[in-house]
Amino acid sequence: MTIRRVLIFAPTLLILFLVYSYFWVPTYEQQTRGNPDRLNEYIAASIGDASILNPILSADSASSDINSMVFEGLIDRDEELRFRGRLATSWEIYEEAFFYVNEGATIPGIGRAGAQKVAALIQRAKAGQFPANPELRASLDNISDISTISAGEFLVTRYEKKKQEDKEPEEVKIRVSAPARIKLVLNSVDQDLFENLSHILGKDYFSGFNGQAYLSVDDERWEEKRAAYADEILPATEHNPNVMFHLRPNVKFHDGHVFDSKDVKFTFEAIMNPKNLSPRIADYEPVKRVEVVDSLTVRIVYKRLYSPALGTWGMGILPEHLLNDEALKKEAVMLGKDIEKFAMRQSSFNRHPVGCGPFVFQEWKSDQYIILDRFGDYWEGPANYKQYTYRIVPDLLTQEMEFYAGTIDSYNVQPHQVERLRGDPKYQNFSGPSFGYTYIGYNMRREPFNDPRVRRALSMAIDVDKIIKYILYGQGERITGPFVKQTDYYNHGIKPVPYDPEGALKLLEEAGWRRDKEGWLEKDGKRFQFTLITNSGNDLRKAILAIAQDAWKQIGIDVRTDLLEWSVFIQERVDKADFDALILGWRMGIEPDLYQIWHSSQTNPYQLNFVGFKNRKADDLIIKIRQEYDHEGQAAFCHRLHEIIAREQPYTFLYVTKWTAVLDKRIVIQETDFQGNPVYKKITPTKTGNFTFYFNKWIKLPEMPSFSPEG
Amino acid sequence: MLSFIGRSVIQKIITLFFVSIVSFLIIHLAPGKPSQVDPLNPKFTPEIVERFRKEFHLDKPLYVQYVYFYRDLFTGKTVSWKDNQSVLGKIWERFLNSLPLFIVGTIITWTLSFPIGIRSAIFRGRFYDRSATFFSYLLISIPGFFFAYILIILVVTRFHVPVIGMETFGLGDASGLRLVMDRVWHLLIPSVLGATGGIAILSRYVRSQMLEVEGQDYIRTARAKGVPEEQVHYRHALRNALLPFVTMFGLILPGLIGGSVIIESIFSWPGIGRMAYEAILARDYPIILTVNFISAVLVLAGTFVSDLLYLVVDPRIRL
Repeated sequence: MTIRRVLIFAPTLLILFLVYSYFWVPTYEQQTRGNPDRLNEYIAASIGDASILNPILSADSASSDINSMVFEGLIDRDEELRFRGRLATSWEIYEEAFFYVNEGATIPGIGRAGAQKVAALIQRAKAGQFPANPELRASLDNISDISTISAGEFLVTRYEKKKQEDKEPEEVKIRVSAPARIKLVLNSVDQDLFENLSHILGKDYFSGFNGQAYLSVDDERWEEKRAAYADEILPATEHNPNVMFHLRPNVKFHDGHVFDSKDVKFTFEAIMNPKNLSPRIADYEPVKRVEVVDSLTVRIVYKRLYSPALGTWGMGILPEHLLNDEALKKEAVMLGKDIEKFAMRQSSFNRHPVGCGPFVFQEWKSDQYIILDRFGDYWEGPANYKQYTYRIVPDLLTQEMEFYAGTIDSYNVQPHQVERLRGDPKYQNFSGPSFGYTYIGYNMRREPFNDPRVRRALSMAIDVDKIIKYILYGQGERITGPFVKQTDYYNHGIKPVPYDPEGALKLLEEAGWRRDKEGWLEKDGKRFQFTLITNSGNDLRKAILAIAQDAWKQIGIDVRTDLLEWSVFIQERVDKADFDALILGWRMGIEPDLYQIWHSSQTNPYQLNFVGFKNRKADDLIIKIRQEYDHEGQAAFCHRLHEIIAREQPYTFLYVTKWTAVLDKRIVIQETDFQGNPVYKKITPTKTGNFTFYFNKWIKLPEMPSFSPEG
Repeated sequence: MLSFIGRSVIQKIITLFFVSIVSFLIIHLAPGKPSQVDPLNPKFTPEIVERFRKEFHLDKPLYVQYVYFYRDLFTGKTVSWKDNQSVLGKIWERFLNSLPLFIVGTIITWTLSFPIGIRSAIFRGRFYDRSATFFSYLLISIPGFFFAYILIILVVTRFHVPVIGMETFGLGDASGLRLVMDRVWHLLIPSVLGATGGIAILSRYVRSQMLEVEGQDYIRTARAKGVPEEQVHYRHALRNALLPFVTMFGLILPGLIGGSVIIESIFSWPGIGRMAYEAILARDYPIILTVNFISAVLVLAGTFVSDLLYLVVDPRIRL
């Protein structure tokens, strides 16, 4: 019977054919033996795909992973997290400070004075003709040049809208007759300069300067904004920090074009161009202008003191010749798109990037892989690996399986997965503290969280060490404050809040909370009751939710918990500050700028200081840290700020997780000694916890190497 | 006949219109914002968020957004918010990736279900039938992702070969045949997994259809005539039992674009289901809405095709 035979044979044959394909697929060992080139390829796995391969436009971590290999910035950070030159060989930071001569002010000793007289006075003070306290002395010694800018008249045009709804802004003409100004060139940035100078020029010399008197607005309707205009156009004092970068000569882009200072200027302008919608615009807003001094020197002039600014020059530099207006116009015409609307975001460059980093972009298949080849002309010498593949595997368990199968070399390994491989002689594993922490934040606007004793007691009731041991499998460390633990900004002198439920009860008693008959804490007849929330989808936070609830119940606090979907959590609860306590985490940059998260001006809805932390001393320190360019000085301020925040306990700082990594033991660092022979070294993470720091020197060997005991 | 087609097309267009409104509303009214206007990234100043909203027309009233979106869709100008790529281009690329998975899965489902189901019907109540029933219900009730993980772990730890993705990475310059067989291997597990649920359900259908037909008078007549048992089963019964399945062919059409979200995500298969899933997570409205719209079109087209198939296969039906 044919029908019956067909019905049986067809599926059997199909299955046999499919299963037969198994014999063609290489196993872990066969892959390197059958294809020696596999040793020269490095395959990394990522959960998510990149979205846009342009360093000034990308905002996700997958894109920045690739961008950091294809593009190179002027500077980056070395093993100790200090800045080191990449496309720039060296740089100097100095300052130009300006102030308007306050003709109405009386200067102690000489009375009213014009520009020349004031300049001469400072000159004399610098020469040591006045007694000066050490701070003033330091400020004066720092001045390298004093000059005067004579008074002048000019016209400024502003565009204003009377109401939000007005379509067309109106033109406002402002006539300015600026008084003379004094320019001081400083060897290094000095945020206390004017404060110190007021010892010589009189206490109110700067604050008494009335800018409004020097400008007139032509249209009366805008008279009300005169004060604002004066502050903007004629600020009494102005700090202009300058960064002079000396660029590396003969660096090439992947297409052979030589890199020079025009590319740096172009990259800056591209970020600032509103058409490009760059998410990094805020980082560069303090820049006044970028000047091309010569083809290998660029000068960046800042509008004001902003110390995190130097770090922003780690941004990958774009090739001007491929992305300037002319190139974009050409592309728009070729694609038949509207030239007016065609901007960098639409360019095909974002899927075929060209930079001057160690790897050259080859191919990108969405949601599958991105392939990069090493760049033979890389200025630091080509990488050892010939090819870098970035594979997108969206599932953590299958990543692990692919790792076992040998088709990825590294993946986002989780602590419990490291635990499985710890004893395996085939693999080496690393871990180190990461740049982020998890915390329980209290809404300080609400009772009883406005009492620091209560917050401290809540912190004391939670056994963080146990959380680290059982939930993180030991892959975490305690943290006591908002700075990155491996930087100098972190104050290691502060001890973590101890686990002490008895002590917590005592503190609560001080604050007026006593246990009632049923064992619940009570104050003025009201039970201590609140809701702890976090977002769903994060198992760690969910576990902490349960642990905290239990720990607090033990000391008699009635805690409810709630898990909310991420966007509801953020929009309805966090943004509107509608919560009692929540569990969240911050990922931090290395820069110690805490303005957005801790400054009291950022406590409004939709801002990031949603716990409502307000502390005048902390505010002062946050501003000072922002303006301090000296590393030691900055670290000292940070330590003090850390202390205040740790004392106030607006958060219960829980832990910083450790990143973890597992690699085949055959992957090692290969260097060449002076005779040209390869020398192998074991991969070790740098002090700051970055194991891929020497990635360009990595290579996979056919056999596991044996290292001498000291290596 | 023609009037039936005309009427049905008009009805379906009206349905489609309502589907487009409802899906647009659901997606826009759901909480969450596109990741470009994510308010919790400190790097994003309100000005940038505002500019993105403008760029995406999110500042306009909903009905204007609706008109803009479908205008762009029909002129083929929609671009994904994530990477500025053309949405239709992306969908086409993903569709080609999902297609082999879909084809192999469908073939496995349909070729295996029939022999299993028919045999169950013939040996009704015996050991074979009972075990087939048991395994069918087992497969229906095991969650797909769980089964997938078990299979993957088993294959990787026992046989040490890669199974994830569309091909083995780092094969280098292997011969053409080798690359083809490698791809076939990578197709095997996901498509078998995708097919298991289908086989379990479809073989049940086949069984019950066969049983129903076997009880009919004409089967008894055939037996009484002395037709050999095998011919009774395969010629007389099977043909009549097939009728409803022909129409089911039309209904698998939507599966083409829906793909399989779970299987594709677990096997990191760059298919259309995974793209749609990731678009939903990133609130990439153009992609979500376009996929939604196309699958609505396919569902409607599928029912239309199955109506027509009925007409062709069953001479008793006239419209």
